[in-house]
Amino acid sequence: MLQINNLHTEVDGKPILKGLTLAINPGEIHAIMGPNGAGKSTLAYTLGGRPGYEVTGGSVRFFPPLPLAGGAGGGRTVETDAPADSASPPLTPPANGRGIDLLALEPHERAAAGLFLGFQYPVEIPGVSNVQFLREALNAQRKGRGEEPLSAAEFLKVARGQADALGLNLDMLKRPVNVGFSGGEKKRNEMVQMGIIDPKLAVLDETDSGLDIDALRVVGEGINRIMRRPDKAVLLITHYQRLLDYVKPDFVHVLAGGRIVRSGGPELAHELEREGYAQVAA
Amino acid sequence: MTLALPTTHDEAWRWSDLSSLPALAEAPAGKASDASHPWIGARDSGGARLLFVDGQLDLSVSRLDGIAIGLVEASTAHPLGAFANGKHGWTLMLGEDRAAPATIEIIHVGTGPSHLPARIALAEDAQASIVETFVGEGWANRLTAISLGPSARLMRAIRILSADGFVSLREEAEVGENASLTTTVLGLGGAGTRIDAAITLTGEGAYGEVGGALLARGEQRHDAAVVVRHAVPYGTSRQLWRAVADDKATASMAARAEVVRDAQKTDGEQSLRGLLLQRTATINLKPELEIFADDVKCAHGATVGELDANALFYLESRGVPPERAEALLTRAFVADAIDRIGDEAVREAFAKDAQEWLEAVI
Repeated sequence: MLQINNLHTEVDGKPILKGLTLAINPGEIHAIMGPNGAGKSTLAYTLGGRPGYEVTGGSVRFFPPLPLAGGAGGGRTVETDAPADSASPPLTPPANGRGIDLLALEPHERAAAGLFLGFQYPVEIPGVSNVQFLREALNAQRKGRGEEPLSAAEFLKVARGQADALGLNLDMLKRPVNVGFSGGEKKRNEMVQMGIIDPKLAVLDETDSGLDIDALRVVGEGINRIMRRPDKAVLLITHYQRLLDYVKPDFVHVLAGGRIVRSGGPELAHELEREGYAQVAA
Repeated sequence: MTLALPTTHDEAWRWSDLSSLPALAEAPAGKASDASHPWIGARDSGGARLLFVDGQLDLSVSRLDGIAIGLVEASTAHPLGAFANGKHGWTLMLGEDRAAPATIEIIHVGTGPSHLPARIALAEDAQASIVETFVGEGWANRLTAISLGPSARLMRAIRILSADGFVSLREEAEVGENASLTTTVLGLGGAGTRIDAAITLTGEGAYGEVGGALLARGEQRHDAAVVVRHAVPYGTSRQLWRAVADDKATASMAARAEVVRDAQKTDGEQSLRGLLLQRTATINLKPELEIFADDVKCAHGATVGELDANALFYLESRGVPPERAEALLTRAFVADAIDRIGDEAVREAFAKDAQEWLEAVI
């Protein structure tokens, strides 16, 4: 799904990522943990293509899987109500062997290719309603994939389903983007957007920050419901272990000093929680 | 004729460019290059509709419905308004409790110079909504004298779509006890503009609002200078202006609120914001408060900037192409001003004009 090789990124001329290497396969959830200033958000923004995050070395290749055979087609692939565990069909190998050079794409092109970036601090945009911009975003992506645009009614149906699942009122989605939303509502709104856009790869930057226990559970369930599929993958960037109680990672990595310094299974997160980053990253 | 025009040495005219007016004042009338008449309401909507071509009423398509045509004499000292004063113009007078049955529409087509005065007088509890549209070219110079009796309500919406030339507007209003005047101006097209207003709240509890959106491109210059004077207590005023400037255009907005010594409990708000689409464009803002009363609430804000880079990236990260993201954010910026229009059909027509302008520019 994603192959990051020896990635170097500078911000304002200051090196932040210093040779980061990471591979993510379809069906996997990876957690990246690390102390403040390790480069976690820089990794997210670099993948998203934020201006000001200058890649000075390395490569990122993206292999978005084709829709699974027998899926509904047209981008919205498998409609599973069943838990996507043992009953999962075998993985579809990426059709394009060499993948896409993610770093060569504009931010909106990365989104159209199937990348979703969940923001640590979702931006408030007065005067632009959620539904207006999301329909615009979704239809721009669909157009990029050669699919028909969704009508307003079709879109509202999709939006309502996602909002309900995350405990957000549809009326909130008609309001300006994130304006007047509480911290928890903003993060739920990120998940609603992810559900509507239905990406292949989600990079979620501290989606758990600012959430109380109930909101954490709802957001965690949202991530599982939307992304826990054999043809999707998640890169979960977090500072604390607690989100990982709800979204079980397959792999945990420790990011320190701009590089992955340790990788392991879910048990690594508990070790970090117990012993602290200083000990584990040393 | 030698025109006596203000110069930029005069503080109130420092951002104005009236240099085209002497030539425009002498230019012959011709044929309108744009023959379309963008009425908003349906022809049978029931309200009065007036079409002026170079200040002359075209009776063949107009319906006066209570509006009188004749000499209009006001007491103005305004240097441009004075050119229109005392000439033939239109008058709307509504008696007590009378309401205009539908929005009154006026279209001004310009081919050459025109100076047209108007008077609007609403008696107690009377109500009217008037929308004026400027198209064509040449110099359109207007003076509008407004007086609102107790609890009268007047809604004005003005859009300047003229492709070329100059549009100068002078509004002078007195707003009586508990009466309400709201004026929203949308300036786009290609003409230079000077929008002048002096609104005096003369009765307690009066409400005066004047604002709008000025969209400038090329080497166009928009210039608004508005004064709201609180002469008595318990008045409320709102001045909300948005300017967008592209290319080498200039948009200037000067808004002043004056609160006299006796005008306690005044509630005033000024919000002036400018958005530069190019760094070669210019936006001038001048918010002014002159307060002599001590128990008043007057908020004011003035900012000029570019589109919010965080918001742009947020939209793009969701798949919105950059030019669409810019258009969405710019539209939202302009909507602040246009959304204040109460009449839905008028608001939508103005929003559509603004949208088309943005799509052409971005």
